[in-house]
Amino acid sequence: MILKVRASAVEGLSPAEKLPLFYGKDRLILLTRDPYWLYTYWEVTPAARQRLEKEGQRCWEHLSLALRVKRYADSAMLKEESCYHLPINHTADNWCLEVGVPDRYYQVELGAQVPGKGFIALLCSNMVKTPRDEMSSLIDENWRLPDWQAKRLYRRITRGSISSLEMSAWGGGSIIPERREKN
Amino acid sequence: MTPGGYLAFIFHAHLPYVRHPEYQQSLEEKWFFEALTECYIPLLRVFQGLAADHIDYAVTFSLSPTLLSMLEDPFLQERYATYLAGLQELARKEEARTAGDPLFSPLAAMYRERLDYAAYLFHEKYAKRLVNAFRELQDQGKVEIITSAATHGYLPLLAVQREAVYAQLVTGIDCYRQIFGTPPRGIWLPECAYDPVLEDILGELGLQYFVTATHGVLYASPRPKYGVYSPILTPGGLAAFGRDPETSHQVWSAKEGYPGDYFYREFYRDIGYDLEMEYIGEHLHPAYLRGNTGFKYYRITGPGEHKEVYNQRLALQKAWDHAANFKFNREKQLEYYGGVMDRPPLVVAPYDAELFGHWWFEGPQWLDYLCRMLHGQQFLQLITPGQYLDQGYTLQLSTPNISSWGDKGYHEVWLNARNDWLYRHLHHAAERMIEMATGHPRAEGAVKEALTQAARELLLAQSSDWPFIMTAGTMDRYAETRVSKHLLRFLALDRQIREEKIDLPWLRSIAAADNLFPELDYRVFQSLESTVPVEKGELEKAGSKRA
Repeated sequence: MILKVRASAVEGLSPAEKLPLFYGKDRLILLTRDPYWLYTYWEVTPAARQRLEKEGQRCWEHLSLALRVKRYADSAMLKEESCYHLPINHTADNWCLEVGVPDRYYQVELGAQVPGKGFIALLCSNMVKTPRDEMSSLIDENWRLPDWQAKRLYRRITRGSISSLEMSAWGGGSIIPERREKN
Repeated sequence: MTPGGYLAFIFHAHLPYVRHPEYQQSLEEKWFFEALTECYIPLLRVFQGLAADHIDYAVTFSLSPTLLSMLEDPFLQERYATYLAGLQELARKEEARTAGDPLFSPLAAMYRERLDYAAYLFHEKYAKRLVNAFRELQDQGKVEIITSAATHGYLPLLAVQREAVYAQLVTGIDCYRQIFGTPPRGIWLPECAYDPVLEDILGELGLQYFVTATHGVLYASPRPKYGVYSPILTPGGLAAFGRDPETSHQVWSAKEGYPGDYFYREFYRDIGYDLEMEYIGEHLHPAYLRGNTGFKYYRITGPGEHKEVYNQRLALQKAWDHAANFKFNREKQLEYYGGVMDRPPLVVAPYDAELFGHWWFEGPQWLDYLCRMLHGQQFLQLITPGQYLDQGYTLQLSTPNISSWGDKGYHEVWLNARNDWLYRHLHHAAERMIEMATGHPRAEGAVKEALTQAARELLLAQSSDWPFIMTAGTMDRYAETRVSKHLLRFLALDRQIREEKIDLPWLRSIAAADNLFPELDYRVFQSLESTVPVEKGELEKAGSKRA
């Protein structure tokens, strides 16, 4: 008796069902791989393409597309340590970047080198950091007792879903202060 | 009396969610059944034996939420009962086949006894709910159980959307609370993958500690004065425990480590491959497809093809020797580091639980011997990270380094040419889920069902196992199929919710198949800007008052 086994199955999917090639949203995402390499992928919508074609006064295939790779020493990105352009081909939608310097912050822009106008950026990525590949040179001993009393389990709820009266009835201090900054 | 040093064993038990009711037997469910029979039950047997003999020991077990869900799933419990009964039948046949053979017959008897014990534990003692065995050990104060991210998502690569990280973490914690009744003290970051961008979310979930790869702590900044031999205090207020490289190498390395000893059992010689199909076929899983049965009669012997018959007595003698060697090496290590520290050094030794018993057959026995050797010892004591933190040591403030415990130490195993295509889909789906959850703060009825299932499908797609399997190149077709299936289901639900055309019969059929986290609240994906953190205890009190 041979039972129906899972080995061959793409169960629940018809062969025609594939993940989309495009989602219709401009996007440039940067990910850290290791101390020396990053990975980036992107999607450029037809509207964004047209914008760059107009700026560059050339069709997409004839634009000098490039990634501008910017390196910073800190997350505030106040001072650019280095910046270089990496030519890319027109059909690419992802790239592995050998950035070569650990413990640095990076951001990438996708755009085109246009004669007389320089680099025109179309998309800008998120910022990432490469890991250190050696011990930190920062020697700063600061020791503290962990404050486990402050470690309570918080749960995110929709703003406005509880009244301030209810909050004060629970003791008021149970909402932790917002520490977030917007991206 | 303060000891000379501590040793913290941490066993990470995890499997991806594999549940295939659409097939009578599936290879992937066998991963779970093998892990139960060969790892979790033998380890439970060791821990229960130690407790029965009043041996003082302490270990930490991280049970991933997907594994917990599978352990608690009645359908998989029934399937395991059938699988186990099949192996018990094979054991009886093997005893008959090898009767009178002085070399093979004792081995057949050994397997029969192990399987009978597994059946006793599974059926009689815990009525198919092995989670209760872990809960008992935790209640006895011997085993500290911690959680992990919901579906073992590789958090640094999901952190493009912090909401995805929050959803993974809070769902994992909720799963733990529902099963164990208390919040976990610690969390196993999947694949030990860490990035400081996780800190603000880790810091609001009531967690006290996590574990990193060696260089996660060793390369932390400012430089940790005591290296990995004392935890550091991270910006989110958690303790980060760094993996000790020496213990890792001694146990993990197949060539130089203990598991490669020539007297230990050979993993790759199994009667599932060696015996005639006519005899073994019906006991294979799936039936009549060559594969491991767990009945292995040979020892490693040497690097060549020739294998000698396994001798359990000699193998256990080796396990004893290796336990003694491990103890000796730890004492020397702790003696050395203790001399330069103002506190007893701590050696953190995390392992995949599935190494013990499955790949390293004698591993559970090695652990048993070691715990017995350490019982009553003053110099070297076993401890859990929670117990260590209870000692009240000050910790150095430092930010761990981006790292993982994968090959080369960073993210490459989960981000390379074989699997990098995955992330554009995962990030898009997470972005859509955040938009949907934020746009429907109080969904009811079919929309709520659809949103909940969409959240479930996204979590399932985010599992770190799929890109890992793609890199390994084994079963990569399965991994690609799984991740595509969950993402396509997600996209279909997204479309149906937007178009307000929810196909309820289809929705309920996929909800029945992908059924983990029954209490999942899709709002865990709401945008962080639209939510506010409230202490969970207060929320529950408010809920009961309202009720």
